[in-house]
Amino acid sequence: MGKDGGDLIQGTLDMLVLKALALEPMHGWGVTERLQQWSENELSVNQGSLYPSLYRLQRQGWITSEWRTTENNRRARFYKLTASGRKQLAEERRNWERLSRAVNLVLETTLS
Amino acid sequence: MESLHETWSRLRSWMGRETMEREMDEEMRFHLDQQTAKNLRAGMAPEEARRAALMSFGGVERFKEDSRDEARPRRLEDLLQDLRFGLRTLGRNPGFTLVAVLTLALGIGANTAIFSVVNGVLLRPIPLADAGRLMMVWETDRDTGTTREPSSVPDYLDFQNLSRTFEKLAAFTGVEVNLTPVQGEPTRLAALAVSHEYLSLVGVRPLLGRGLTAADDKPGAPDVALIGEGLWQRLFARDRSVVGRTIRLDDRPTTVIGVLPDSGAFGSLQILTAADYSRSFADRGRDTRAEIWVPLRPDPASSPRDTHPIFVLGRLAPGATPQAAQQEMAGVAAGLEKQYPSNKARGVFVEPFSEVVFGPVRPALLVLLGAVALVLLVACANIANLLFARGAVRLREVAVRTALGAAWRRLLHQFLVESALLTAAGVGLGLLFAYLGLHLLLALAPGGIPRLSEVGIDGRVLAVTLGASVLVALAVGLMPAFQARRADLQSTLKEEAGRGATADAGRGRLRAGLVVAELALAVILLSGAGLLLRSFWRLRNIDPGFQAGGVLKAEFQLPASRYPVDFSKWPNWPEQRRFYDAVQERVLALPGVEAAAFAGNHPLDPGFTNSFYVVGRRDEARDWPEISIRRVDPSYFETLRVPLVRGRSIRSADGATAPPVLLINEESARRFFPGRDPLGQQIAFWGADRTIVGIVSDERSHGLAADPPAAVYAPLAQCPSANGAGSLLVRAQGDPAALAPAVRAAIRQVDPELAVFGVEPLATTLAESIARQRFTMLLVTVFAALALLLAVVGVYGILSYIVAQRTPEMGIRMAMGAAPRNVVRLIVLQGTRLALWGLALGLAGALLMTRFLRTLLFGVGATDPATFAAVLAAVFAAAVLASWFPARRATRKDPMVILRAN
Repeated sequence: MGKDGGDLIQGTLDMLVLKALALEPMHGWGVTERLQQWSENELSVNQGSLYPSLYRLQRQGWITSEWRTTENNRRARFYKLTASGRKQLAEERRNWERLSRAVNLVLETTLS
Repeated sequence: MESLHETWSRLRSWMGRETMEREMDEEMRFHLDQQTAKNLRAGMAPEEARRAALMSFGGVERFKEDSRDEARPRRLEDLLQDLRFGLRTLGRNPGFTLVAVLTLALGIGANTAIFSVVNGVLLRPIPLADAGRLMMVWETDRDTGTTREPSSVPDYLDFQNLSRTFEKLAAFTGVEVNLTPVQGEPTRLAALAVSHEYLSLVGVRPLLGRGLTAADDKPGAPDVALIGEGLWQRLFARDRSVVGRTIRLDDRPTTVIGVLPDSGAFGSLQILTAADYSRSFADRGRDTRAEIWVPLRPDPASSPRDTHPIFVLGRLAPGATPQAAQQEMAGVAAGLEKQYPSNKARGVFVEPFSEVVFGPVRPALLVLLGAVALVLLVACANIANLLFARGAVRLREVAVRTALGAAWRRLLHQFLVESALLTAAGVGLGLLFAYLGLHLLLALAPGGIPRLSEVGIDGRVLAVTLGASVLVALAVGLMPAFQARRADLQSTLKEEAGRGATADAGRGRLRAGLVVAELALAVILLSGAGLLLRSFWRLRNIDPGFQAGGVLKAEFQLPASRYPVDFSKWPNWPEQRRFYDAVQERVLALPGVEAAAFAGNHPLDPGFTNSFYVVGRRDEARDWPEISIRRVDPSYFETLRVPLVRGRSIRSADGATAPPVLLINEESARRFFPGRDPLGQQIAFWGADRTIVGIVSDERSHGLAADPPAAVYAPLAQCPSANGAGSLLVRAQGDPAALAPAVRAAIRQVDPELAVFGVEPLATTLAESIARQRFTMLLVTVFAALALLLAVVGVYGILSYIVAQRTPEMGIRMAMGAAPRNVVRLIVLQGTRLALWGLALGLAGALLMTRFLRTLLFGVGATDPATFAAVLAAVFAAAVLASWFPARRATRKDPMVILRAN
């Protein structure tokens, strides 16, 4: 199924995509660019994962999509966060904060 | 909301598959163009820019495949994945799976088996028309305190004329007839003699032929009979030409006028059993079923008001209530009492038919159902506990997945799928257990339970079982899922990092609570079982007053056609006497026979009672109850080892022409001769003054649970049996059962046409008389043992868990010099605390619950302190033992190994 052990990447990526769309509706390319920019080039999102993520989020009802024209007059599919997507983002964010705090706690422990 | 959305996108993806493909292509092209443009801006050559963009995409077709995969709604796939995952998880823990499935199967199997009995016996509709309006009309006697006496014929006719609250009244009684086939031995059959209203009153129509009419009920009408469906099948192979044929009943040619469904006898056995006397074939025990119906022909001319041979059944008039009927009939009885001296102290008791039929078995069946439900509760608690224990291990996985955004809904699904898998396996195995258990149950069941033979696992039983299983699966699956949701992420992950000593107290408390509940339920069940066990033990150890071991019993009824009953010559009936003497001579000649005696009734047959008086004290006798009259041969007391207390026994010289004599039992002596010497006094009944020549000790002829009745023993020769009924009792040197064929043969030599029945060791009859108590006791004990076993497994499980968690601490303690003994004590103390809570709650529960047992107990109070103390001690010991094993295991480990592992 190609998803074994994919929880980390998939779950995290979904959260990041939601975050990127929280600002304004944008197309898939825009999401890639935005994430790369915000992470100061640390995260380069593989398109092979990005689109499955977008389709998945759409199926789950957290984002919707529509075809629009870009500023240079090309047709592109724009994705937009829904209300439940916004809630989901908040929830995942809380979990993430707890997890990262936990991981940090573990890492910062000095061995005795 | 979610599902609406999913439906919508499924619809869209199905209808717009081509659109989707096109859009996906376009979206991908757009992305590639953007990437190419970016590469160009970065200074790449156009060819290079395009190639780099394609490469960063990582395979166009794979991307499309993955995207399609994600866009498709996947409920079914998810389910399949969960199923696969669940099966894998269960398969990885075969021990856990086996214990959980077995526990569930036992709980569900026991419940299904007991429920199918309750369903078959109590819940299914009565196969009679509008049975809720059928009422038994008993007579009562304030002097003797009896409440369920049959009626006299004149009283019955008066009831019919005077009552308005009954639409119709009918009379019947149980009789036994000899059916002599064209070939072969005559058979003894249970029959009902019914008034012509009876069949239409209960609403049973003949399958074939006609029912009884008023003309059939006239004295002197031709002999007719209806036969039951079972008999029709057995004897006539369902031949429809049976109607009109002649059969020989008690040596009289009788015309078969119809065939009745077996429901025509529904409840009659239970009604006869409920009666204070005139119980007829009901005392033959087991599941005797009436198979022949003959006209009752109630005739006030031949049946006076002071004999009570018939049972009155009525159907309430529309709008009449049982209370109104009771009130009206009490008034009628009071009128009759004023009018006739023989009706002194007599009243009427109107009792619903269903109460008479089901009343005696309902409490025991409901107690069993309750007990088995408690077992299922314990089983559920145990499985939840097992899942918790495993959940604790899986908690880390769950916590990480939740943190990483896995939907809780998906986790919930997965837990439910797992518990559904467990439950499905449990139900499958449980139904097998139920099927086997039911067979065992029916084989062990005592006689007299209505329609027990029709009990089976039917649609309703299956529906209830499946319903219960769904509840179990939900309860068992939801608990760990909610636990996982509330799980404290941080402490879980910290445990992950190896700091396991900080056990989360909340989860531990919940598990401890479950174990306490299990122990409490076990205490309740064991208390019930203990009380029933003690009751049964008391009952069994009661001295019946005679020695049943080694005695063979055979019963018969001499037909008047060959053994004339001439009341003008009473008691000198030489044909009966010749039969007795001839059989006795042959039986005594058999090898291995020590003694043999004839009696009117065997010692566990209540027989009949009669009014009497002591000569010279006739006035006192007005307030005396009737006395039990036993008729015996001289060798009776020797055969049954009933000790003579004073005076002399009956001798063979006390014959038909000798002066009438009798013995009384000690109860009679106490009650009727306080402060006097009964020897030499005379007792009068049946037209003769009979001199008391001796006193014998008491026999419990009304059963072990009832006090021995006041009784007289008259020589059979001086009081022969008017209906020819009698018992032969043979004391064997060895196994009495082995004598049965020889005894049958001896009787056949004297009278080849006589039907002999009830041939069995008297000890069997005695055991059968307390079979119902034994049955209830046995089942409740088995269920209680099961509950205790499960509870002990629960205690063991939680303490193993605690020990596993505290192993590092134990290691430190032992490394610092604590003796293993002290460490064991520490753990066992934890188990003890759980046990004490369980005992306290269980004791409170038992004090509340055992009151429902009261009607089933004998010689033991519902809160018997000794029983409760024994139960508490046993459960406590079991719980402590269950905690000692894990504790000892903890100390077996080398402390240094433990510490290093940490």
